[in-house]
Amino acid sequence: MTDQRSQADIVRRSLKKRYRKEKRFRAYGVLAVSIALGALVILFADIIGKGWTGFIKTTITLEVMLDGDSMYLDDPTDADQRAMADFSAPIIAALQKQLPEVLEAGELRQLNRLVGSYGSNDIRDLLRAQPELLNTSQTLTFLASDAVSVYVKHSDNPSYSIRLSEQQQHWVDQLLAKGVIETKFNNVFFTSGDSREPSNAGILGALVGSLLTLIVTLAIAFPVGVAAAIYLEEFAPQNKFTDFIEVNINNLAAVPSIIFGLLGLAVIINTFGMPRSVPVVGGLVLALMTLPTIIISSRAAIKSVPPSIREAAEGIGASKMQVVLHHVLPLAMPGMLTGSIIGMAQALGETAPLLLIGMVAFIVDVPDGFFSAATVLPVQIYLWASSAEQGFIELASAGIMILLTFLISMNALAIWLRKRLERRW
Amino acid sequence: MSINEKIPNVATKPDEAPMTKQAAALAVEAKREDIAVEEGKTVGLPYSDNPKFKLRNVEVFYGEERAIKNISLDIARNEVISFIGPSGCGKSTFLRCLNRMNDSIDICQVKGQLLLDDVDIYHSKRDVVELRARIGMVFQKPNPFPKSIYDNVAYGPRIHGLANRKSDLDEIVENSLRKAGLWNEVKDRLDATATGMSGGQQQRLCIARAIAVSPEVILMDEPCSALDPIATAKVEELIAEMSESYTIVIVTHSMQQAARVSHRTAYFHLGHLVEVNETDKVFTSPEHELTESYITGRFG
Amino acid sequence: MSNKKDDVYGDHISAKFNDELMELKTQFLNMGGLVESQVEHAIQALVDNDGQLAEQTRLKDKAVDKMEMDLDEEAILVIARRQPTARDLRLVISVIKMVADLERMGDEAKKIAKMAIKLSEEGLAPRGYIEIRHIGKHVLSMLHDALDAFARLDSDQALRIMKEDKQVDEEYQAAARALLTFMMEDARNISRCMMVMWVLRALERIGDHACNIAEHVIFMAKGEDVRHSPMEEAERVVGR
Repeated sequence: MTDQRSQADIVRRSLKKRYRKEKRFRAYGVLAVSIALGALVILFADIIGKGWTGFIKTTITLEVMLDGDSMYLDDPTDADQRAMADFSAPIIAALQKQLPEVLEAGELRQLNRLVGSYGSNDIRDLLRAQPELLNTSQTLTFLASDAVSVYVKHSDNPSYSIRLSEQQQHWVDQLLAKGVIETKFNNVFFTSGDSREPSNAGILGALVGSLLTLIVTLAIAFPVGVAAAIYLEEFAPQNKFTDFIEVNINNLAAVPSIIFGLLGLAVIINTFGMPRSVPVVGGLVLALMTLPTIIISSRAAIKSVPPSIREAAEGIGASKMQVVLHHVLPLAMPGMLTGSIIGMAQALGETAPLLLIGMVAFIVDVPDGFFSAATVLPVQIYLWASSAEQGFIELASAGIMILLTFLISMNALAIWLRKRLERRW
Repeated sequence: MSINEKIPNVATKPDEAPMTKQAAALAVEAKREDIAVEEGKTVGLPYSDNPKFKLRNVEVFYGEERAIKNISLDIARNEVISFIGPSGCGKSTFLRCLNRMNDSIDICQVKGQLLLDDVDIYHSKRDVVELRARIGMVFQKPNPFPKSIYDNVAYGPRIHGLANRKSDLDEIVENSLRKAGLWNEVKDRLDATATGMSGGQQQRLCIARAIAVSPEVILMDEPCSALDPIATAKVEELIAEMSESYTIVIVTHSMQQAARVSHRTAYFHLGHLVEVNETDKVFTSPEHELTESYITGRFG
Repeated sequence: MSNKKDDVYGDHISAKFNDELMELKTQFLNMGGLVESQVEHAIQALVDNDGQLAEQTRLKDKAVDKMEMDLDEEAILVIARRQPTARDLRLVISVIKMVADLERMGDEAKKIAKMAIKLSEEGLAPRGYIEIRHIGKHVLSMLHDALDAFARLDSDQALRIMKEDKQVDEEYQAAARALLTFMMEDARNISRCMMVMWVLRALERIGDHACNIAEHVIFMAKGEDVRHSPMEEAERVVGR
């Protein structure tokens, strides 16, 4: 009796200690999660804070008199004349109309700087397309120059340096007040390729490049990965050789991605003579990189198919192939798809191997096929981030936001697919 | 400890000091160890005049380990025979030899003569798919495919090409479900997924799936161990009904189940087939000491 | 309740179990019928001084013994195969015990038949036939009713039989006293009177066994053992 009581006392005393330990452990856990969440919040806040302005463009809307005399142009269809013509003259004239106090020639040149260098190109293209507009008056919207854009969007941000003179700042303020200079949603960002000019640079080229690359990756990595997984899991005999393969697949998953880039450069481009900078090569390299992920996740999915289902099918007299095709594969498919989507997401965010196969080139045009030069989202972000122009900082952040949106939606798709296709058995 | 109470001090001699309980238990154990199981010798009635299966000197190896030791047995046509014995006695392994389910285990090796209707089951030219179409199997855990009830039953006939038209298939499905006593419960929801059924229904569906390919033999590996008593009773009743048209071999952990459903009962012990006899005989006066000890709950 | 009584043992999921219990019940009733006719014939042989019928009756006992063994084996198999519980268990256990009662009755009938043979050889006893006929009739109806109560699982009727047994005991004692008086009056008839006495005694025993069967019927129906307890207790159990 006394024995039992003292034992109960010991238990009670140790109980307190145990509960304290438990509480402490739980606190560590909460702390760890908070740190992780905090880091995430800071990251997102920073990116969004920097990048949201990337989705805004600064425009100047002017009533422009397309005066043939001032442009030294009387036939817009003549290419020679167009090459000699001064298309900036109508813009300067229009701006002057808005700012009557500007008279000096030097000041006029400064005025011209407000409109981006592509302003005159816009007029040239317009006249080439519609020669009849010569000597008429048109309301046209131009992109403001990068400096104006930075001033309008970031005048209160000390980390940006304003590259406008006092005089120009004064004009911009005036034009802003008149509503000539406006900020609008930056559709250029989503509809054009890269450019030297931040205001004209867009992400579409990289987006299409990424898409094409991923299509190639998926088309190669998924069937090969799934087939390899099925063979290894269902048909391969258990011996040293298959063990060796298994170890090497796991090793492959841990190989730094840049090595795959080197492989692509050495084998695909140099040996097989494929062109550089094209989505096919990028896709091939990324497929090699994703393959181990897909194989491993597919094998896990196949393994998780309950043996009872397999036995059931075998017991009725299904052949090995029928067991795999009718039962194992459908049940493992959600897991395989999830693994593949995660592998694709990984490939989407990959930069290093693509740098080596030349997908880092400055490419203005949106790629129109698997064999046209292209770049991809992360590389584009890398290019912008390392660019000197101030306007590219916000574009890089905006690009990151686009990339993250895609990654998150791919992961969400993976989760949705799993929930949707997963059946209980 | 219950052993002590049931067989007190078997080995004590009058002049010895009273044994401790533990020593007595050890003595009892030792005595059981002494009960000789002569290899390859089975008491009772292991043979039949009209065998469906003729099994002679069967041995099964898992790598180096001999799991089945020289077993000879006949399984008669349209009889229900149950295999009982303590865990690891080899009854499931032996059952799985009958439709070569052990084939998929690389290290498993089967020796001896196993004849189904006088044709060797393990002949190298023998097609295992054809064999399994003739020998259906029902497993411990109900394992319906995660498909509709209809597709579950129709699967076997489909892969074996037993029905050319949809109407034939419908008929097979209905007949199988009727035989499994499930038709009235599911006829309105044949398209419902099978995994939504109760455990007992699932198991009867598995039986329906097995009989849909009209096998001659049905092997059952502890078919009721995952079921509640009512579901168990239903499955047992089904077995009793099916015994008219099929040869049924059933492995069970429940001796009572063996007593209820089978015509003959085979008792396995450490890979030996110790006794085979009429079920009534086994459960009222078994011939072998080990059988008696096992079915009376003295070990196992 | 009363109209469902026939189904009490017939609604298991296992049809075979139903069959087995029904078989047990039917066999028991067959044996009961055999014993009933045996007792009836023994009394008739005695009363009618029919030596041939008595001999036939005596030989019937072999058949009863055989049925006893068959029924016991069947009951054991049901236990081994089905592990019956509750009312099924009560049925099987009661059958095993009631079979013994029936067999004893058969033995008593055999005894009566032997007496009938002896009496037919040695000449009729001078007295006691009226009592034998009366008690015999009474006991026979008790046996018949007991079997009927078993067949219908009718505890009310079983209770009536238990009460009747008391009457039979009284009748037996009265008859015994009367015979005793007669024997004291005329010592020459003692041996033959003793035979009549044995017959009466046998009939009384048969009544007791019928009463036992009735008690088992109550046990089967109500699940309570009313043996060796006062009549009020039995009434309480049945009245529930």
